[in-house]
Amino acid sequence: MNDSVSLLHFTIAVPIIAAFATLWAGKLGRPAVQIVSITGFAIPTILALVAWIAYSPEVAGGYDFVTRHNTGLESVGISLHLGLNGISLPLFVMSAVVGLAAGLYAAQSKAENLSRYLFCLLIMQGGLMGVFASIDVFFFYFFHELALIPTFVMVGVWGGRDRGYAAMKMTIYLTLGAMISLAGLIALYVKSGANSFDLITLKAHLAAAPLSETVSHYAFGLLLFGFGILVSLWPLHTWAPLGYGAAPSSAAMLHAGVLKKFGLYGLIQIAVPLIPGGVGQWENWIVWLALGNVVVVGLITMAQRDLKQMLGYSSVMHMGYAFLGIAAMSVLGVGGAVLMMVAHGLTVALLFMLSTMIHHRTQTFEMEEMGGLSKKAPVLSAFFVCAMMASIGLPGPGLANFWGEFGIFVSIWEYKPWVLFVAATGIIISAVYGLRSISRVFFGNESEDFLEVQKENSVTDMTWAERVPALILLVLLFFIGLFPKTVTSSLNEALESEPVYAKAEAGE
Amino acid sequence: MKPELFAYALLAFPLISAVSIAFGMRRNGALASGVSVGAAALLLATALHIIFRLDTFEFSVNWLQVGPLSIDFGFLVDDLAKLMLFVVAFVGFLVHVFSLGYMKDDPNKARFFGGLSIFMFSMIGLVMASSLVTLFIFWELVGFSSYMLIGFYLDKPSASAAANKAFIANRVGDFGFLVGIAMAFWIFGTVNLSEMREMVVSGEVVIASIGAATGLGLLLFCGTVGKSGQIPLHVWLPDAMEGPTPVSALIHAATMVAAGVFLLCRTGFLMTADALQVILWVGVATAIFAGLTAIAQRDIKKILAYSTVSQLGYMVAAFALGSLAALAANPADAAGAVITGGVAAAMFHLTTHAFFKALLFLGSGSIIHACHHEQDIFKMGGLAKKMPITFVCFSLGLMALIGTPFISAGFYSKDAILALAYEQNTAAFYLLVFGAFLTTFYMIRLWKITFFGKANSENADHAKENGLVITVPLILLAALSVVGGFAFIYPQALMPIIEAGEHIAHGEHHTTIALFGGGAWAIGLVLAFVIYAAGAKEDRFKKMTGRLYGLLEKKFFFDEVYGFYIAKIQQRFASALNLIEQIALSGLIIRGAAGVAGLVGIGLKALHVGSLHQYVYWFIAGLAIFWAFAGGF
Repeated sequence: MNDSVSLLHFTIAVPIIAAFATLWAGKLGRPAVQIVSITGFAIPTILALVAWIAYSPEVAGGYDFVTRHNTGLESVGISLHLGLNGISLPLFVMSAVVGLAAGLYAAQSKAENLSRYLFCLLIMQGGLMGVFASIDVFFFYFFHELALIPTFVMVGVWGGRDRGYAAMKMTIYLTLGAMISLAGLIALYVKSGANSFDLITLKAHLAAAPLSETVSHYAFGLLLFGFGILVSLWPLHTWAPLGYGAAPSSAAMLHAGVLKKFGLYGLIQIAVPLIPGGVGQWENWIVWLALGNVVVVGLITMAQRDLKQMLGYSSVMHMGYAFLGIAAMSVLGVGGAVLMMVAHGLTVALLFMLSTMIHHRTQTFEMEEMGGLSKKAPVLSAFFVCAMMASIGLPGPGLANFWGEFGIFVSIWEYKPWVLFVAATGIIISAVYGLRSISRVFFGNESEDFLEVQKENSVTDMTWAERVPALILLVLLFFIGLFPKTVTSSLNEALESEPVYAKAEAGE
Repeated sequence: MKPELFAYALLAFPLISAVSIAFGMRRNGALASGVSVGAAALLLATALHIIFRLDTFEFSVNWLQVGPLSIDFGFLVDDLAKLMLFVVAFVGFLVHVFSLGYMKDDPNKARFFGGLSIFMFSMIGLVMASSLVTLFIFWELVGFSSYMLIGFYLDKPSASAAANKAFIANRVGDFGFLVGIAMAFWIFGTVNLSEMREMVVSGEVVIASIGAATGLGLLLFCGTVGKSGQIPLHVWLPDAMEGPTPVSALIHAATMVAAGVFLLCRTGFLMTADALQVILWVGVATAIFAGLTAIAQRDIKKILAYSTVSQLGYMVAAFALGSLAALAANPADAAGAVITGGVAAAMFHLTTHAFFKALLFLGSGSIIHACHHEQDIFKMGGLAKKMPITFVCFSLGLMALIGTPFISAGFYSKDAILALAYEQNTAAFYLLVFGAFLTTFYMIRLWKITFFGKANSENADHAKENGLVITVPLILLAALSVVGGFAFIYPQALMPIIEAGEHIAHGEHHTTIALFGGGAWAIGLVLAFVIYAAGAKEDRFKKMTGRLYGLLEKKFFFDEVYGFYIAKIQQRFASALNLIEQIALSGLIIRGAAGVAGLVGIGLKALHVGSLHQYVYWFIAGLAIFWAFAGGF
């Protein structure tokens, strides 16, 4: 292992340094803040794209850009061990790009104390990059916490309606979820006897001496429900719509788009490979709760009147598919889940951003009080239609989303056909709420409330400052949809090299 | 040049047109329409090259590979695809030209032509798709373009509602289609259509021996039920008439709605006899039901829409009957025999229908345009003299639709269907003959009321014949409506299917079929002539039938039942779940369901929730302590 400096270090360090620089630039005025913070978002994005292109691991399916540094914690088996494999790479790129879009949008927002707002966002970004770049489980967890704290602060300080309550609830739930999963990770650490938090070492140890059935049952249970809370597994999801409803848009973009994937990523990269028996022991739980996400939360989404709440619920709903992909325990199911996580991250970030743009024009999130917005803002409506269609998995704008969902669906049929019949109703449910929201917000005639608003504020179409971040997200979404192999070839290799996923194929 | 380059070009023209309109010509309607029509012209020329100059070919590149799932992007240009390509490119081009006149004064012309281009792109992709998955992708995309164009008049709430209805009804069908693809993948290990077919033909996969094989056929058929407006998902198609009339002609009459029939032809080798029986009866029921409903409609486009639904029922029934015949004739080699059976009859009717129904819609568009957007036939009347070209063309299309013996395209393609039914299923035969009677009856009603007598409204009184861009497409389509039933007019490349179709019509029971078909035609014609007065102001048939008419007028209450389900059951159920959810949100269940959450919550509150900043300090402090311990200080 070399201990040189790699580009991964920069992707983590640059946003964090930029965060403090932004605070300092606050004294120099708004333009300085914008330049510093956008640089802090842009550099990791460029580096992540470079990593995406340059990725070529020595062993197929292995890690690339590997570095290891001493931390002074070797006695407990912790070292700063960074690297990317086929599973983390697409999520790493996605989080960089969503971060850039959120940063660009935030930098020109009218938030009070802009420099502090961007400080929080940049810290969050640094944490996110760290989560997906960590091979060491301790740092994986540490970076998650690093990203989580600014989220609470942002919701509590810059949030909208009910921000105090939302922030408190989010904090309780997410801290609880994080603590339960931490307990699970520590259990793994202790019971494996590896005396290391290093994922690769842990894996080798556990492959040689698997956990006993009882231990794996409890350890996986802790991880499943701990991560489950973080990913908003039904019925532990109630923090999500409330939190997103209140969160300022850039925080919602980064959290719903990227940070929330932490739990799924933890299950796919850590929990399932380390505890191969766990999914089997908990599969009924996973399947039934995931179907709850798709069907129950899907129906609840249909009943929402508040645009942002609706988006929050719809994002909870889509997490159900990812859990089902994991339950299928195959390269295809998990590969589909990762693809969906990437596509969903881009889409939901775009939708949250667009919903805030809508709010600026209508002064409300109540869909009943909007209507006819496409007359004044045709470009905004085109973006929203694209994003919503992507979210409901329509190939075209949502080709990437479709690949993910389709992979999951096909893998579920092999797993249990009846589950597919229930899960696939999601494509109808999501079409119902998606199209309803489009027609309520953009089509038909303006509601009286909206006409009232228009008397005082002139409604304009999307400005270029608004279009650029939206385009960044859409372009990547289109790109991955059209050229899915840029993601799936390395993803496939990584999953095939993971015995627990490849086993299903070999067993045929 | 490699053949696939032409196929790529075929996709590229409309795509480039759509993208350039979206990004650069939103405010320049004239330029946008020119670009779009130009793309349609290039597309037609390239399509003709592919059809006539190139052999059938297959091409694929790997698109995606995850685990065992390998998906190719590719083209499958065989006889079936060539015929469909011809229909789409030809009718598509004529509709583009027609739209130049029809949409001339619309302020949102650019969006309209952009939408048409997206549609052409998607439809061409669908026709040439080489695998079930790529077919599904373009299938969803035509659905999306249809959604966009139905909702074209954005400020009309009814248009937006109709667009949503179309999309959602299609998604219900696609639910089955998608599950069917997943099932097919695990049976065949591939989603490539010709590989799958090869496996069936070579006996590597024996359809009849697969458990639930009938289910596979029916799941895929769900897609057809949605897209081709079969009962019970037909409700969206009449509402789709909210879109501009050229859209109705191209998408909702000639091409997209026929894609369901195309899908059946593509996947015919997967069908078991049981599945075909179900498909047959869905088709027959749709044909009769829609024919009955058309009798009681007043809106010219709604009448034509129900007529389309009814004719799609014929095509679906034709596919089932022909495939059943092939299965009966040669159970061992059913997959190989399908081209002579179901595909031929269904595609023959699809082709002639595309010509005459596009003509009828464009004709009605010409009328609506001339009558200042009046669509009620009882407010028209006397248009024959005012719009002679439209009148003649419309009449020729109408003659084809009702199957006027010998001199119309529809006569031969309908005869082929009746001939198959006569051999396969007597009950279906009589019902389809009855359907032919209905067709004649409702079309003559429309014809007599619209074109003869006196004008019944000021709009109709001021109607004038339209210009050349509108009438020339009508004339071309009218010519094809007359001669489109004769196989000899088709170029060699399109022959195999058409000839097989015509061959069925000229089978051994030729005279009997012609007698029944001609009889239904004559009775319908005479009855309608007797009952309806020229240029009538009101429906005399309504007084004669009373309640029965009410049932037809209300379209057998499908919309009411669905409306009740959506508003009273589905939405209430969703609201009830939401209520429970909101109670949970407001905190009553937080502590109940997750008891731990409550306890920990209280603990956490005491620690840091009072001030969020404190949490940060705790985090840093905890970290420092942890570090200190671990480092051994």
